Amino acid sequence: MTTRKITLSAAALLMVAALAGCSGNTSSTSSTSSSAAEAGSSAADTSAADSSAADSTASDSTASKLDTDITVVSREDGSGTRGAFVELMGIEQQNEAGEKEDMTRGDAEISNSTNGVMMSVAGNVDAIGYISLGSLNDTVKALDVNGVECSVADIKSGDYVVARPFNVCYQQAKLDGNAAAKDLIAFIESDDGQKIIADNGYIAIDSTGAYAPSGVTGAISLNGSTSVGPIMEKLCEAYKALNPDVSIDIQQTGSGAGITSATEGTCDIGMSSRELKQEELDAGLTEMKIADDGIAVIVNLENPIENITSDEVMKIYTGEINNWSELG
Amino acid sequence: MQKVKEGIMHALFLICACVSILAVVLICVYLLASGVPAIGEIGVTDFLFGTKWKPSSGYYGIFPMIIGSILVTGIAVVIGVPIGILCAVFMSHYCPKKLYRFVKPAINLLAGIPSIVYGFFGLVVIVPIMKELFGGSGKSLLTAGILLGIMILPTVIKTTESSLNAVPKSYYEGALALGATHERSVFFASLPAAKSGILAAIILGVGRAIGETMAVILVAGNQTVIPKSITSGIRTMTSNIVMEMGYAGGLHREALIATGVVLFVFILIINLCFSALKRRKD
Amino acid sequence: MTDAPTAAMTNEKKTTAPENYINRVTLGARLKQYARSPLSLILMILVMLAAIFSVGMLIFIIAYILINGVPHLTAEQFDWNYTTENVSMMPAMINTLIMTALTLVIAVPIGVFAAVYLVEYAKRGNKLVKIIRVTTETLSGIPSIVFGLFGYLMFNISFGWGFSMMAGVITLAMMILPLIIRTTEEALLAVPDSYREGSFGLGAGKMRTVFRVILPTAVPGIMSGVILSIGRIVGESAALIFTSGSGHSIPGSLVGSGSSAATLTVHMYILSNEGLHVNEAFASAVVLLALTFLINLVSDLIERRIAKKKG
Repeated sequence: MTTRKITLSAAALLMVAALAGCSGNTSSTSSTSSSAAEAGSSAADTSAADSSAADSTASDSTASKLDTDITVVSREDGSGTRGAFVELMGIEQQNEAGEKEDMTRGDAEISNSTNGVMMSVAGNVDAIGYISLGSLNDTVKALDVNGVECSVADIKSGDYVVARPFNVCYQQAKLDGNAAAKDLIAFIESDDGQKIIADNGYIAIDSTGAYAPSGVTGAISLNGSTSVGPIMEKLCEAYKALNPDVSIDIQQTGSGAGITSATEGTCDIGMSSRELKQEELDAGLTEMKIADDGIAVIVNLENPIENITSDEVMKIYTGEINNWSELG
Repeated sequence: MQKVKEGIMHALFLICACVSILAVVLICVYLLASGVPAIGEIGVTDFLFGTKWKPSSGYYGIFPMIIGSILVTGIAVVIGVPIGILCAVFMSHYCPKKLYRFVKPAINLLAGIPSIVYGFFGLVVIVPIMKELFGGSGKSLLTAGILLGIMILPTVIKTTESSLNAVPKSYYEGALALGATHERSVFFASLPAAKSGILAAIILGVGRAIGETMAVILVAGNQTVIPKSITSGIRTMTSNIVMEMGYAGGLHREALIATGVVLFVFILIINLCFSALKRRKD
Repeated sequence: MTDAPTAAMTNEKKTTAPENYINRVTLGARLKQYARSPLSLILMILVMLAAIFSVGMLIFIIAYILINGVPHLTAEQFDWNYTTENVSMMPAMINTLIMTALTLVIAVPIGVFAAVYLVEYAKRGNKLVKIIRVTTETLSGIPSIVFGLFGYLMFNISFGWGFSMMAGVITLAMMILPLIIRTTEEALLAVPDSYREGSFGLGAGKMRTVFRVILPTAVPGIMSGVILSIGRIVGESAALIFTSGSGHSIPGSLVGSGSSAATLTVHMYILSNEGLHVNEAFASAVVLLALTFLINLVSDLIERRIAKKKG
């Protein structure tokens, strides 16, 4: 008799669960499809709103603000994007021992890729995250930081504060021994190389003039940041078009791994999306900036917020601010 | 001459048979050699029971990850095993032949879908549902457990079905002849007879769930804190390795390899249970 | 969900087909039985729900991939060379092919010979055999990420191969070895003893018997193991990211600089990572799915042939 009761209740539970799953499912699919439909239009809206944002944000943002808990999305420990972000936003603070410590709240969601952050934010109204400006697309909304839009022009002028360098690093001796690698770096620094960087939404640095192919041969191996990887692929493609006898191997593993393998000599050039630490430079590496990249603070398209201060970002990521309504 | 040839072949077969021993030994040696010193340096208790994982600041405690792996696997089993067993019952005792020709390949296909695809699916479909139902971000212990539950279904179904099919038909027919309904005959005569096969299915499912990486990473939230509730995010040992291996150097890298060692030990324990079970069956 | 009872009803009609049961049970009698025994009814509903859930899940996932991927399948994704413009998956497909072939070349002979030893040569109760069995089982239970870590430590670092195709191949070979051993063992055990006795009786030696009589008979069984292994290789990602790396082109050498090769699954993982090519990632998922489907189809065919032979 008791077993019968148990099975009955179990059956009921299962049914309810299945039904709940189905209903939740249908509603969510409908909402996602509608948000997808809106995506195009609202993306256009935001860009239109952006231009007028400067004067109207104050009244706008107080009129409509989310009243929900913030879902904080971060990158994994060791990511160049995270390293630059916590440093620039002041999330890296001194702990009791007087050492610098990344104070990102422990319950922050961690994604190990730019796409993971974007998908999480695009699917969650309450989420906030940060990604490379070069990867930004219209599935999410980039916030103005301290009233400055995240754009190439504003990063170049220095008004947009959350920017970091894309670096390459190498052992000078090893580079001198590899004519092709040295030539590749010369190409990246040249007008032609920097034009490719600018064309792909990154911020070019001062270039060194025109590049003339010197007909070198050889093999180059690069290893490092997944943020630098895509633009490096473009650069290498263009370089190979000019120097067909050079073979290039690019591994996208992460800033840390790139620096390590450049130090160990297992690759010719390491790629890093953050400044090298002093101890890494002391290990015999030379650092060279090839471009700048902005870090966009992103929220869901349905989030009415347009502007945020770097202080607020710091408080959100350290856990001082928990709810969207607490924002200024 | 013939004898020499036979002898050589015999030796060759023997050597090939020993390759798997060699492989396991090599894996053990390499993992232990690079992982154990790190555990020693961090301290066994600090490593296994430390609750703070902040490699950039020198904290290497994987306790939250161990708990995460165990809990996620537990939930996956609670969800995947009953559904899997029932589905196996359907396939061996309910499914008409015509339908079977469709269902069987479907289950095989479910097993063949790469885990990254499962991860995308979980992130886009299950996570929003969970967010709607329980609030928060939707990435949680429960979400990861459900996704893993789905992923272990094919393993559970296949193993259970073959053990159900191995039960002599006379068990079922005898029960039917005594006046039991179809269901009673299946569930109270055939199913208990397939008990050891079902246990094997559970253990295989546990093995698959605890070792799964690429799907979990996308839906678990990956927070390195001990979960407070079933809806808070967790990080498993496997995702910890994949996430940070690319960046890690020095002690951090060794700590990740040590995480792999702990995972390996878990798998060894599960395998021991499995072979103990098999021996009892024999 | 509302159509579940009706679906169950039709199924039930089919299950009472005469070939399955000794007694023909009419639908009415069946319903009467359920009325008398609610437990049976509940169990029946649960079974049906579970089956619908499992198959429904598969259909859902497949539909999800197809909807997201098919619109982004373009001809230029099948160009011979990968560039950042066309995001071609062709090199990755060829890499998958090469790596699968190399892996099988390494693992199949070793696996088959190991199984031959276990079945034909080893004496019962041999201690070594016990150890081999335990290690094989252990090997089959090790998660792919642990294989990846090991391969990275041994081949990439200790051997100094860097991210190389060979590192991935050997790691994969170790992964599929237990699968090949197990399926071959089963196939060998299924060969009737009379074949062996006949061969010995005609004066053939043991080696001759193995190669001329037993192995040819066991070929379909071995093939099914090989096909399963191919499925495993194609779907693998965690073990390969750290060993054969993310090279987008077909490598010129097996080890050393420039020998890194991404299989289709790894290619898809990398594409999805930075969020720049998510659509193309889904397109590769469609191809991957088609490939998996094909592999399953072939293994099904082989299995059916074995069953026919037996029956």
